[in-house]
Amino acid sequence: MRSGKNYALSLEIDQLKAQKREVCLRLKEAKTQKNESDIQRVTEELKDVSAQLSEKKRAFSKSENQVLFAEMNRHKFIYFMLIIPLVYYFIFKYIPIWNAQIAFRNFISLKRTGITGGTWVGLENFKTFIGSYYFWDLIRNTLMYSFGKLLVSLPMSILLSIAIYECTAKYLRKIVQTLSYLPHFLSWVIMYGILLALLSPSQGILNDIIKLFGGTPKNFLTDVHAFPVIVILSDAWKEMGWSAIIFIAALMGIDGTLFEAATVEGANSWQRVRYITLPSIKPVIVVVLLMKIGTILDAGFNQLYMLYSPAVYSVGDIIDTWVYRGTINGQFSLATAAGIFKGVIGMSLLFISNWASKKVTENSLF
Amino acid sequence: MKKTIIVLLVALLTASFAFAQSGAETAAANDGPVTISMLYSATQTEAGALPADWAGYAVLENELGIKLELQMLPSNPNDQDLMVRAMAAADELPDFFTCSREVWADLAKNGQVLDVTDYYKDMPNRCAVMFDDAAKNFVTYEGRIYGFATPSAIAGNEGLLVRKDWLDNLGLAVPTTLDELYDVMYAFTYNDPDGNGKNDTYGYGAFVEETLSYEIYPGRRFEPLMGAFGVEGTWNMNASEFGLRIHDEHYYDWMVFFKKCIDNGVIDPNWMSYKKDDFRAAWKQGKFGIFREQNSAYAGENNYAPFDANFPNGSFVVVDAPIGPYGQSVGPLCQGMRVYAINADVDAKKAAKIVEMFDWMSYGEGYLLCGYGEEGKNYVLDAQGLPQSDASLGDLGYAQSKGQAYIQLRNCAFNYSNAQEIALRYPGYTTKVSQKYMSAGDVLLEMQKKTWTATPGQNSMPKPDTTDVSTFYQQGIAEFLNGTRALTEANWKAFVAQFDAIGGLVWEAQGLEYAQANGILQ
Amino acid sequence: MSKKPSTNVAVRPTAADKVFQVCVCAFLAILLVVIFIPIWSTITLSFRPANYIGSYLEGMFLAPWKWSGLAYKALLGNKGFLNAFWNSVKITVMGVVTALFLTVPMAYALSVKGVPGKKGITIFVMIPYVFNIGVVPTYLLMSKIGLVNHLASVFMPVAISTYNMIIMRQFFEGIPNDLRESAFIDGCNDIQIMFKIILPLSKAIIMTIALYYAVAFWNDYMRSLLYLQKTALKPLPLLLRDILLGASMNDNLEASAFGSAPIEAIKAASVFISAIPMIAAYPFIQKYFTKGTLAGSVKG
Repeated sequence: MRSGKNYALSLEIDQLKAQKREVCLRLKEAKTQKNESDIQRVTEELKDVSAQLSEKKRAFSKSENQVLFAEMNRHKFIYFMLIIPLVYYFIFKYIPIWNAQIAFRNFISLKRTGITGGTWVGLENFKTFIGSYYFWDLIRNTLMYSFGKLLVSLPMSILLSIAIYECTAKYLRKIVQTLSYLPHFLSWVIMYGILLALLSPSQGILNDIIKLFGGTPKNFLTDVHAFPVIVILSDAWKEMGWSAIIFIAALMGIDGTLFEAATVEGANSWQRVRYITLPSIKPVIVVVLLMKIGTILDAGFNQLYMLYSPAVYSVGDIIDTWVYRGTINGQFSLATAAGIFKGVIGMSLLFISNWASKKVTENSLF
Repeated sequence: MKKTIIVLLVALLTASFAFAQSGAETAAANDGPVTISMLYSATQTEAGALPADWAGYAVLENELGIKLELQMLPSNPNDQDLMVRAMAAADELPDFFTCSREVWADLAKNGQVLDVTDYYKDMPNRCAVMFDDAAKNFVTYEGRIYGFATPSAIAGNEGLLVRKDWLDNLGLAVPTTLDELYDVMYAFTYNDPDGNGKNDTYGYGAFVEETLSYEIYPGRRFEPLMGAFGVEGTWNMNASEFGLRIHDEHYYDWMVFFKKCIDNGVIDPNWMSYKKDDFRAAWKQGKFGIFREQNSAYAGENNYAPFDANFPNGSFVVVDAPIGPYGQSVGPLCQGMRVYAINADVDAKKAAKIVEMFDWMSYGEGYLLCGYGEEGKNYVLDAQGLPQSDASLGDLGYAQSKGQAYIQLRNCAFNYSNAQEIALRYPGYTTKVSQKYMSAGDVLLEMQKKTWTATPGQNSMPKPDTTDVSTFYQQGIAEFLNGTRALTEANWKAFVAQFDAIGGLVWEAQGLEYAQANGILQ
Repeated sequence: MSKKPSTNVAVRPTAADKVFQVCVCAFLAILLVVIFIPIWSTITLSFRPANYIGSYLEGMFLAPWKWSGLAYKALLGNKGFLNAFWNSVKITVMGVVTALFLTVPMAYALSVKGVPGKKGITIFVMIPYVFNIGVVPTYLLMSKIGLVNHLASVFMPVAISTYNMIIMRQFFEGIPNDLRESAFIDGCNDIQIMFKIILPLSKAIIMTIALYYAVAFWNDYMRSLLYLQKTALKPLPLLLRDILLGASMNDNLEASAFGSAPIEAIKAASVFISAIPMIAAYPFIQKYFTKGTLAGSVKG
């Protein structure tokens, strides 16, 4: 926020800069013509202009600092409110990050080597991870599931929230709203049992139907083509209602008069969803999306660890499951290395998409 | 504003309440009894911690001068590892603890566990029943012994089971060779052995249960079949032909046979997706008639009951592994081990006390207290002088719901091999529905008599350096079996060659080095 | 929902409006069926008797008089159950209070426009969000500050979830700035503005975030495992996990601790037992969904 005084100053500075450029040009011209008196006169003029410019600049930056200080002073309670949370962040979020360097040292224990005492063994764990035979497969699978879930679960939960919001059948709405979030509480162990019951080659319901139509039963859970679909759909199945809660909360805030105005202007329900409801919750959708992009390389460890098997490693192994099998084998620092790798990628993607989102939707995290 | 302040105060109070939750107790370790903290693996985590009125506490304090402070490990092995590692990193290891061999190996390398080589002689009673060379090798690092490896389970407690009633229904004999077994599998699948008129049964049932060190993919439940080709287990431990089983010349023949079974539908096709509980529920529902199962999971009273209710006329026979073209084996046989270690930070006096206590737990009074609880409360001695969980004790008997908490330290006491322990663990009983006599103990003895490949020490063989090697192995074999890769000799050779290139040969060399260094080659 | 402020159903519905309603209702009805399947199958599974034969599908239609309550009996009858339940209640209540106490002011402070340094602070909080560095580094911290074996150790490391905080901030940002500015001119400071203006308008989102926190703390397993080493401090998820794993490993034992309930039923029953308090809380939160008016409204 710029004050009026500062604005005037910045205009004057721009003017002086233009003047200085013009004087410089004349000086150059005089030099090429070797006109001594002209050179002297123009040099004097240049000095004068430069002095004026630097004076104005000083004044500007002084006033700029004053403005900043005034702004900070105006918001002093905001800073006060931030003290405890920031201290919290420092202790509980940053000290563990500092401690994470033990993964790259010959760390033994707090008393024996301390956090920084072990010799630096460098990036062996990164090499193990990035040099893995399966590195690119892991990246591909991880991204496939995170994007697949973003593309399926997120739109589904938005649709669900809008449908709940728009539905006029009171009981249907209430029942769906209450039940839809329950599957979130079913663990993946339970979901696996249900999926097995649906998809098992010997007694699965889906295969019973296939057999009914004369097809040959298929073991979907160990089929490389069916497996990714199962993963993405079962995730939507389980989490859709849970993720919809936040959008329902957002929908509750829509100003009712907007709808009245639209109705008066002759908009039907479809148009109102398109032009009022969706744009109203757009900021929340964008923020949810950006936050999910920050952790794009977490593709759902619990789900995949439960669902996959060696037969579908080629399409089911993600970074986290691969690392987990490694830590069982005793490569304990691998998890930290992979975590840092995931963080760097997530952070970069977050910055890019935040920037893009600012340009396109005018919503951003920072 | 008043309201605001009240809300804030309440919040602060609640938060401080949260922090005040600790039971701040500092052990005064003066000249009284030596306090020993111990992290133990409970017999049954869900039964709860060892109760404070366990008689052993007083005995330890009065007779040995030891105040024992116990802490229970979680039930999942991965959780246990994580917990011990975190404690070790923060120097919070208890004085005496149990952990997996992987974690122990790191602790030994880091100097966080005590060298106990010279303490073995102070445990005459325990040494009398355990600690052979294989057990000592299990916890040896660079020539010194850094822990105690006690037997963790009964060796050879699994066997190949066949539905006897199905054999009788179809008029088949008990199979002895691989060909006969295959014919039975085929008949069980297609000839409606249960006579329900539906084609809903399979011959062989299994799920993937593997340990990288010695029972790699497809794992333990298939080993009776693999044994027929002489390719059971991860390693061939014979000194003259040492190597990974996958390098065995007959491994491809096994794969061809396995694929034939799968293609002909005589193996329950769910084997790739079943977990242990699904597998067990499946045989109890009569989904398949041949499988490898553990003695008590099969014949234990509660485990057999659902099957008994479902099939009062059903019964199993423990058969020997089928004789195949290249061998016969139920699987590799080696004693499972549990590692106990002493924190390197304890002083000599305390270490001596820990060893004394550990010995006390292995014989006489200590053994009974840890293994069966208190006499008259948790057990009574029968005519032969054996501790029995008698009905007169009510639910405090050691086999009953409340009494179970008193035997949480049983793993520190039992040696898992003597006949008395087995008889007591697996008492005979009469089944509820079919009224027949069953005994998991008898089953165990029968299972142990079958043909096994005895390879002590195989379970301490090194795992591959990176997950890639094992992933490539598991994924490759699974893909041959589910048809993603075509099983031809050329494809197989290419697969093995690539496995070697990724790290298979390095792993094999590490295995050889380890086996030679520890003298576990046959 | 009955007193929904919007009048988004036209006074005279057009044909398009009717089609819209039909589509919406059909969509919800289909979803209802799809969502009901796993829930119902888990309910029936939890009551399944030990000697059940038949497919999973048939099990879903098992007559209620054949149901068996053994699984619930086994879980609720565990002697550690009440203590674990109470521990979980304590963790959840204290956790939610602490979390809101930390999260709400931060979300509000970061939602105010024109605060110098805001962008820097946002990036500062985003970094730990994307970097997940494993459990041992956090354990070392908890051990150093002495939180091991305190119930607070379960929620303190996640007492501000950056995700929840940023979502909440987004809702606060949706509140028109004029409200804040005019209060400012009336002489209110930011703390008063937060309590008097922002919070009353944001009940829906605060309840939602409170629910998110509550569910996270109630279900937490990993931190309880690491930090609550004393048996007396164990919360419900840890106890249930011990029971489940114990049940599937009971082949080494003479008798199982819970008689003859099948393991599948115990798994399913444990899901309901642990979820019921959270499920019961949801209708109370839904109540606030009707009254929310301005929070989250159109921005700019």
